Amino acid sequence: MKRILLVCAAGMSTSLLVTKMQKSAQEQGVEVFIEALSEAAAKDKIGNYNVVLLGPQVRFMEGKIKELAKPYNIPVAVINMMHYGMMNGKEVLAQALGLMG
Amino acid sequence: MKALMNFLEKYFVPVAARVGAQRHLVAIRDGFVAIMPLMIVGSLAVLVNNLPIPVFQHFMTAHFSTWKSLGGYIWTGTYAVMAVAVTFSISYNLARSRDKDGLAAALLAFVSIIVISQPTADGGLPLGWLGSQGLFIDIVVALVVTELFCWLMGNPKLVIKMPEGVPPSVAKSFASLFPGIIIVVIFGIVKFLTVAIGVPDVYQWVFHVIQAPLMGLSNTLPAAILMVFLISLLWFFGLHGANIMLPIMTSLYLPALMSNMQAGVHAHYIFTTSFFDAFVNMGGSGTSLALLVAIFIASKSAHYRDLAKMAFAPGIFNINEPVMFGLPVVLNPMLFIPFILVPVVLVIISWAATAIGLVPHTMILMPWTTPPIIGGMLVTQSIRGGILALFNFCVAVAIYLPFIKLGESAKVKAIEAQSEAAHHHATQST
Repeated sequence: MKRILLVCAAGMSTSLLVTKMQKSAQEQGVEVFIEALSEAAAKDKIGNYNVVLLGPQVRFMEGKIKELAKPYNIPVAVINMMHYGMMNGKEVLAQALGLMG
Repeated sequence: MKALMNFLEKYFVPVAARVGAQRHLVAIRDGFVAIMPLMIVGSLAVLVNNLPIPVFQHFMTAHFSTWKSLGGYIWTGTYAVMAVAVTFSISYNLARSRDKDGLAAALLAFVSIIVISQPTADGGLPLGWLGSQGLFIDIVVALVVTELFCWLMGNPKLVIKMPEGVPPSVAKSFASLFPGIIIVVIFGIVKFLTVAIGVPDVYQWVFHVIQAPLMGLSNTLPAAILMVFLISLLWFFGLHGANIMLPIMTSLYLPALMSNMQAGVHAHYIFTTSFFDAFVNMGGSGTSLALLVAIFIASKSAHYRDLAKMAFAPGIFNINEPVMFGLPVVLNPMLFIPFILVPVVLVIISWAATAIGLVPHTMILMPWTTPPIIGGMLVTQSIRGGILALFNFCVAVAIYLPFIKLGESAKVKAIEAQSEAAHHHATQST
């Protein structure tokens, strides 16, 4: 199963998005595991995922997270602000699936 | 306006982003985040001990005369030694960020602060300097020790090679032996030298010469305004302002809170971490819960209303990303002024209310997810704190209202103009 990691400051607001994404995945019949973590918690676990998406409010961490993800060859991207704000699970899921190819 | 925004986007945002990702500041931030649960436990102990309900106090004292010592024990184990806890966690985080043994670094940082501390007359640890009063020096020691440790660990000559067959965990403990010896000896010498030049207690010295003046400086109205202004400005550009400013905010305003807690009725620091959480950041930075209420009152836009409905529940727990990015507030010129103005105004009101004694000083730490108004009551241990929070909330709604209306009419005009143009275009092309 594909594993998606969302990262924000405390892992709180992204956990909201996770539920929306899970719902969208269910509707589409896509099997994915989605989790939200704070940046600090994400550091140690990054190797367990297939893709990492960052909340736009922590986009300044992109360089650092990319560096961490590099050895595992995991794609990293920042979530579109509008999709994030509207908690648009469908679009963000599509972005994640697109990145994993 | 546009020129100003472009200027800030070009010069301010990259600097802020670099600060937000700066290794040492990130380590300090994560270090504080890690000890917050402990601080809240200690805070709850104080809260219960001082619960301003006479019936409860009478009952407890009558039946269990020494009941308050329980809270005292908990306080000693959490708040009283917070600098030690944070030294450990900052060092751990910094070493981890450099891919080094976090535990070994954290242990060394812990040992180093004990080496330079001054034991009490009967040989005990100086509890007074292991808490908030020793915070500044301990943060510095944690950073210095860890950097030294990482640098020494990178030197192959200092690493003892174990023969094959030695269990990896044993080999690991020996790997940090020489770096550890060097670091502890260095701090021993530092302590030796400071005593020799007539500073018996570096903790006391750093506190009086650096920490206390800085805390005093940060506890002025202009400094507090600058803090909330910067947080709002960062958020306006879509960067997590509270997160980026957290190392500075916590280093300056958490010790102030703890000093208040210890001083009780003699508390004198107006600005504390709880002050900002309870009276200003209601619903998140920019008092964004008030913005949602303003939308419910004045907005006719379906998008605004839908979003406000969705964002309200998280907003009650001070999570405001949906508002920031969904409305959006980020890069929305219509909301720039109120978003910056509201926190500044609330800081001034709350400062005045505290200074003239209408509201007690803040002295309890609550989780940042504590709902507004309840938070105001808890951090001041008084209903008056809740009333101030409610008053502030109304002021914030009042400031947001005209801007929502203004934006609305501008939006309606834009849509009308657009449809008119489209109509015009359509008729022309036929």
